[in-house]
Amino acid sequence: MSLVHMNIIMAFTLSFMGLLMYRSHLMSALLCMEGMMLSLFVLVALVVLNSHFTLASMMPIILLVFAACEAAIGLALLVMISNTYGTDYVQNLNLLQC
Amino acid sequence: MNMFTSFILLTLLILMAPILMSTTNLYKNNKYQYYVKNITLCAFTTSLIPAMMYLHTNQEMLISNWHWVTIQTLKLTLSFKMDYFSLMFIPVALFITWSIMEFSMWYMHSDPYINQFFKYLLLFLITMLILVTANNLFQLFIGWEGVGIMSFLLIGWWFGRADANTAALQAILYNRIGDIGFLLSMAWFLSNTNTWDLQQIFMLNQSPPNLPLMGLVLAAAGKSAQFGLHPWLPSAMEGPTPVSALLHSSTMVVAGIFLLIRFHPLMENNKFAQTMALSLGALTTLFTAICALTQNDIKKIIAFSTSSQLGLMMVTIGLNQPHLAFLHICTHAFFKAMLFLCSGSIIHNLNNEQDIRKMGGLYKILPFTTTALIVGCLALTGMPFLAGFYSKDPIIEAATSSYTNAWALLLTLTATSLTAIYSTRIIFFTLLGQPRFPPLTNINENNPLLINPIKRLLVGSIFTGFILTNNIPPMTTPLMTMPLHLKMTALTVTTLGFILAFEINLNTQYLKHTHTSNFSKFLTLLGYFPTTMHRLPPYLNLSMSQKLSTSLLDLAWLEIILPKTASFIQMKASTLTSNQQGLIKLYFLSFLITIILSLILFNCPE
Repeated sequence: MSLVHMNIIMAFTLSFMGLLMYRSHLMSALLCMEGMMLSLFVLVALVVLNSHFTLASMMPIILLVFAACEAAIGLALLVMISNTYGTDYVQNLNLLQC
Repeated sequence: MNMFTSFILLTLLILMAPILMSTTNLYKNNKYQYYVKNITLCAFTTSLIPAMMYLHTNQEMLISNWHWVTIQTLKLTLSFKMDYFSLMFIPVALFITWSIMEFSMWYMHSDPYINQFFKYLLLFLITMLILVTANNLFQLFIGWEGVGIMSFLLIGWWFGRADANTAALQAILYNRIGDIGFLLSMAWFLSNTNTWDLQQIFMLNQSPPNLPLMGLVLAAAGKSAQFGLHPWLPSAMEGPTPVSALLHSSTMVVAGIFLLIRFHPLMENNKFAQTMALSLGALTTLFTAICALTQNDIKKIIAFSTSSQLGLMMVTIGLNQPHLAFLHICTHAFFKAMLFLCSGSIIHNLNNEQDIRKMGGLYKILPFTTTALIVGCLALTGMPFLAGFYSKDPIIEAATSSYTNAWALLLTLTATSLTAIYSTRIIFFTLLGQPRFPPLTNINENNPLLINPIKRLLVGSIFTGFILTNNIPPMTTPLMTMPLHLKMTALTVTTLGFILAFEINLNTQYLKHTHTSNFSKFLTLLGYFPTTMHRLPPYLNLSMSQKLSTSLLDLAWLEIILPKTASFIQMKASTLTSNQQGLIKLYFLSFLITIILSLILFNCPE
């Protein structure tokens, strides 16, 4: 594949690893999700434009819409956690423990 | 055409008059007692005339007055049956009631409600006469319940005393159990013979099955205090002595026996009913005679003696000799009433002392009462040619020479000898020896109201047996020949009892007091029968039903089985199966490692 695709895929992979391996703040998970979403958007737009696959031109827009909703929900959860605990440390999320 | 009907109805109507006068001014002053007593005397004389007519010409009568109601095919009328039994019983009952009313004018002298007492006694007498003269079972039942109610009111006369109320209630309850048998028989007769009239019952079905006769035996057991339904009779001594003399010795308690005597055409065909009556009577007579040996209250000893004689009457019915039983009813009434009146005289003169261990030496102090008491006890034991002999001896002779249950016979003979023993006990403790009561100065029997009734009953209890047996028409052939040892059975056991009792009583004069043995406690507490049967079965029944309804039905089935079990299972399952620990970072790390591992494993070009 071309160097551009590899670049974007590397960006996606880095964000993905960052989502799975964050240390203490929930905010970093959310930021990594945004990064994943961004790289995915760029990749999809690039491939669709490069292959003239016009029928799938709406996919990036729909992806963006759903990502925006999900970012909103993520931020709402962050606000709730921040209201309850004061911070967003992950070690506080242990209510389901029994 | 003679005045038979008129005299009978006049007798019954005369007795109603004081009840009606109780609304007037006569009731308020103390002339009422004399009025009631004289009315009873008049009723006695008018009832003697039909009795004489019966003895002279054997004339019986059935008076059917007033058609009350017809329910489909059942016709209920007001009908009186004047036959051998009722015509003989009415003069006896009226004579004894007259004597007792005169006695209670002395005994209840200081009671403020004495007029009500006399009214109650008269009401009792009227209901007893309704019972005796009834020709259909409905009228008999009216009389039956009436005597039960009057017994309740009179036993609980001193209602401020808790024991008296308990005893009255006990009497009603035990009588009620007998009433169940009576109603059972009534229902059977109604549904099988379509009537409650005695004539039609006897005509239609000469040998009924066991059920109605068992019902009648149960009714007699309840009213006449046979074993199993007997505790109410000694407890009924809580009432005043005239009440004990009238109701619980002569008249009411013989109502059960009278019922069985009325139904003798049916009883003589059913061997099972006779055997039941025989066994029940034999058991009663022995058990109550044994219990009488260890009682210390003079009225209770006489009450148990009554119960024992009632058992003897039941034995006679079981031997298919209803006429002998009836004769025993008539003679027994005299001397038993006299025994109660003498005990009333003793009790009042010793300032209401009823315990025989605290009496003694009354032989010289109360000579007339002593005479009457000794004659009464001798008549009770069947001393030859006194009143009791003419009825008791034929019963024992019939028992020993008939083809009957040997065990019942043995029990009856033992009870006869025990009769002598407790009679000696009464005489020994109350009359002989040194006085054991505190010195009282106003012991006297000068009052004619006390002396005359006892005098009349004394003459009656000496001569009645002779007069009655010589004048009544023979209904059955008496047994004429028997071996000498059988003829002397009653006499020998009685004499043995007297000698034994006297020896033992003399031995107890100067003994150190020992604690009562278990056997004596058994007898003093009436065989533990009231102790166990009054509390335990009702408590068990009630607690079982409460546990059934509350614990089982309500708590278990409606609450625990489905709802609580379901919630319990769910909670246990949820705690078992959910083991979240909230270790998010580890979970994410595991995702990563899995993905990388899968990428390496499935993409490595090897």
